[in-house]
Amino acid sequence: MCDYKISERAYTKLIFHAAKYPHLAVNGVLLGEKSPKGSTVVIVDAIPLFHQCLHVTPMAEIALMQIDAYAEQSGLIVSGYYAAAENFYDNQIERAPAVKIADKIQENNKDACFALIDNRLMSLDHERAALLVYNCSGEPGRWSKANYTLSQSTQTLEAVSSLLKRGAMRDVIDFDNHLDNPENDWTNEFLNKDLKQLLAMY
Amino acid sequence: MAFNYEEMSWSDVRDQFRKWREENERHSEDVIQLWVALLEDRLHKTGNERHLILEQVIIAALDTARFDIATKCTKQLSAEFPGSLRVLKFKAMRLEAMEQYDEAEKILDAIIAKDETNAAPRKRKIAILKARGRRVDAIKELNEYLKKFMSDQEAWHELCNLYLSEGEYGKAAFCMEEVLLHSPHSHLIHQRLADIRYTMGGLEHIETARTYYSQAIKLNPHNLRALYGLYLCCSFVANSRAAVSKRKEAQKLAQWALEQVAALTASNSPIKNNDKLIASLDAAFGNLEIKAN
Repeated sequence: MCDYKISERAYTKLIFHAAKYPHLAVNGVLLGEKSPKGSTVVIVDAIPLFHQCLHVTPMAEIALMQIDAYAEQSGLIVSGYYAAAENFYDNQIERAPAVKIADKIQENNKDACFALIDNRLMSLDHERAALLVYNCSGEPGRWSKANYTLSQSTQTLEAVSSLLKRGAMRDVIDFDNHLDNPENDWTNEFLNKDLKQLLAMY
Repeated sequence: MAFNYEEMSWSDVRDQFRKWREENERHSEDVIQLWVALLEDRLHKTGNERHLILEQVIIAALDTARFDIATKCTKQLSAEFPGSLRVLKFKAMRLEAMEQYDEAEKILDAIIAKDETNAAPRKRKIAILKARGRRVDAIKELNEYLKKFMSDQEAWHELCNLYLSEGEYGKAAFCMEEVLLHSPHSHLIHQRLADIRYTMGGLEHIETARTYYSQAIKLNPHNLRALYGLYLCCSFVANSRAAVSKRKEAQKLAQWALEQVAALTASNSPIKNNDKLIASLDAAFGNLEIKAN
């Protein structure tokens, strides 16, 4: 049994990713601290992956290997997967896109989680975190609901809402953007810095 | 992209809208913002282009749930073209956007009854099935549609995506091949077809994928996805049970592809240690290479 603490940065980035492509399915990877303290896994960062086609594997293989190396450099570990479905009402894990990636991550890290973006809670006035988090605490390979907390939740939700209103989600860059043009930085270094400053203001 | 409204004139907006129409880009939010800020009151100045602009704005309005704008524009169009089926379609789309699917379908059926050769309402009906989450029915209907309108590339592309989301890779590949017949010089379609073949797995499919990736690179040497794809395919062949000469050749080609990737990204990428990230790919596959036969 473990529960999850999702950082402001990770949450903002994954919500931005879904908001940048409201008409498409998106997915990405969550990075967490290497050695969990007690039973809480801290999700530090999110790496947005794809929005164009989630059902083919070659670029996912390339992205995951690079992310693995990137996580190694930053002292983090791949500890989860997030996805948002294309259809507004598909908020069940069975209908989430590319669940196989999550299964594979879970094989390598048994405490990995699956964060499904709840389309119904995505709005300009975030009152609750728009996430459903699952893990495989029972049987391996079977996803069941898990507990999570959002770091600084009131302030984070307020910040995300006002940033969405200003259209800040356009600044997030996913791996597809990087493949379209290598000038795009999928690690989102600039956005990370900006977010750090912005979130400190709330 | 943010626009500075104060520096734009209505003709800039018109040109921008025209560009988006030609390139088939929606940019719904921008369209609505620019429409309200600059173009709405000056529409009469655009001459006959105004009908196209109105249609563009209606779709953008439905996309962003601005039903007020959609209704206003539809009324303007139907005042000019009373009884037009094309305008009627927008009424159906408005109902569709408000999730009143049954009413929308009634209108669409009426349009089809009046004009059997009209493709648009048939496609809307398939879109409704998709919105309702009935993917399998959407696939069935789209197949029926393609029997009648065989040269509709957009529809083949959509069918491909639907098959992919159902995990039917073989059928998806077939659809992509149809699209390829229509535009044999598109590197993106070669690359997508290769993506699908690679996903299917097995030496035979991966060798096919390698061919398509190679063609994509030939058509556009800057296609990063195709270069990575070629690298993956060649690495797979190099580690397979194929003949030694074949494996050696594949290994060389894999190295070449990775060098191309490194060269392309090195000059442009702002990512720190990007070269190390790419080298990690080599480490993952490279260590496996050339087992004894």
